[in-house]
Amino acid sequence: MRNSKTARAISGGFFILSLLVLSGCGTLQTDRVLQSAAAFPQPVELTAVPFFPQEEYQCGPASLAMVLNATNASVTPAGLVPEIYLPERQGSLQIEMVASVRRHGRIPYVLRPQLESVFAEVASGNPVLVLQNLSFWWYPKWHYAVVVGFDLSHGAIVLRSGREERHVIPIELFERTWRRGDYWAMVAMPPDRLPFTAEETPYLQSVVPLERLSRWQETASAYAAALKRWPKSLVAQLGLGNSRYALGDLRGAEEAFRKATQAHPESADAFNNLAQALADQEHWAKARQAARRAVELGGPQSKTYRETLQLIETHIEKTN
Amino acid sequence: MEKFRRIAKPVSQLLVFGLLSLSLHLPAAQAGMIGTETIANAAQAQQNRAHIQEALNRDGVKAALVARGVDPSQVQARVDSLTDEEAQTLSGKIDQLPAGGDSGLSLLVFVFIVLLITDILGFTNIFPFVKHPAHRP
Repeated sequence: MRNSKTARAISGGFFILSLLVLSGCGTLQTDRVLQSAAAFPQPVELTAVPFFPQEEYQCGPASLAMVLNATNASVTPAGLVPEIYLPERQGSLQIEMVASVRRHGRIPYVLRPQLESVFAEVASGNPVLVLQNLSFWWYPKWHYAVVVGFDLSHGAIVLRSGREERHVIPIELFERTWRRGDYWAMVAMPPDRLPFTAEETPYLQSVVPLERLSRWQETASAYAAALKRWPKSLVAQLGLGNSRYALGDLRGAEEAFRKATQAHPESADAFNNLAQALADQEHWAKARQAARRAVELGGPQSKTYRETLQLIETHIEKTN
Repeated sequence: MEKFRRIAKPVSQLLVFGLLSLSLHLPAAQAGMIGTETIANAAQAQQNRAHIQEALNRDGVKAALVARGVDPSQVQARVDSLTDEEAQTLSGKIDQLPAGGDSGLSLLVFVFIVLLITDILGFTNIFPFVKHPAHRP
């Protein structure tokens, strides 16, 4: 009798333990990746990525400084503390890490939650900033590190982490800690280069917020890079035009908007902005033609289209 | 009481900022050009309302950052670099989002959890709330 009671207590305890330890347990991506190891037969390591050993609680600034310096932005962890450190939380939030990348004129791109994406970026030269939970969900220990290399034939991954310049651990262990960080991974790109795994809409959504910071040089360059990969993208075409317009390059803006109207004859926004760029160059007749087209097409911004047309017509009447 | 006082300050700051921004932050009409952000975001029907809500969010985030120890002179630049969506997330969940910084398991908590497990397993009898029903044969 006593034995069965002990057995029940032990099995109950193990049940709770395994709940705590194995929660969220599912198949690991690692197996899938290691099966396709032939795609990356050689070990990859970005030895040129600088290393900043972290101070207490400062893995955010240290990791961010590493990825930014890898793109030739010269920042130190201490310089990033006032941008991203949250004293009361003794750490840095992902949102503010992303926002800080913009402040340094780089494009923050959050990767798809797959090991393959991380490895593809590293293999094409981009160190990847990751969020890990080194402990368990019920008592998290959140940590930022930078993936700089991997060796699939040995199932190993290389991180710049904490005070270790080369933290080499099994990919499986990395994945378990990364999964508890919800597979969050980000690259910081110079504006003239796209991430290897970039997709059109999410990439452009990562570029647009730099406009708010008036980083027009950078946005122009990022939209131009996007157009090389996705030549028909309306957002990239109009973004390029708007960036050039903000930089005072009216002719360049006109050219970008004209291409947008040719590739997307249904876009009233493209015609409206073309009209404005033409009007600023005092090509009134052409401007009126484009503005009329925008008003005809209509849409949610039709109030602005009508205003643009009215301004142009008033000017034409005055000069006649 | 202490908890209430801690919450009361940021909440009242948020309210004050919010009410102020209602009167100050009406959107400036953009003449001529349609911005890329407008083009990239599909939902445009409620733009004006979104503007006011957004101003509320941003001021809320400012107050929240200051309340959590950020130097007030740094707050404006930090908030300016956020998108509307990010500001909204931050204003609502600043204490729930993971903050990477390695502040980890304290020994005390670890010991507590170990003892709790041993209590449940029936090896120790420290916590009165862990019941050990006596089974009589």
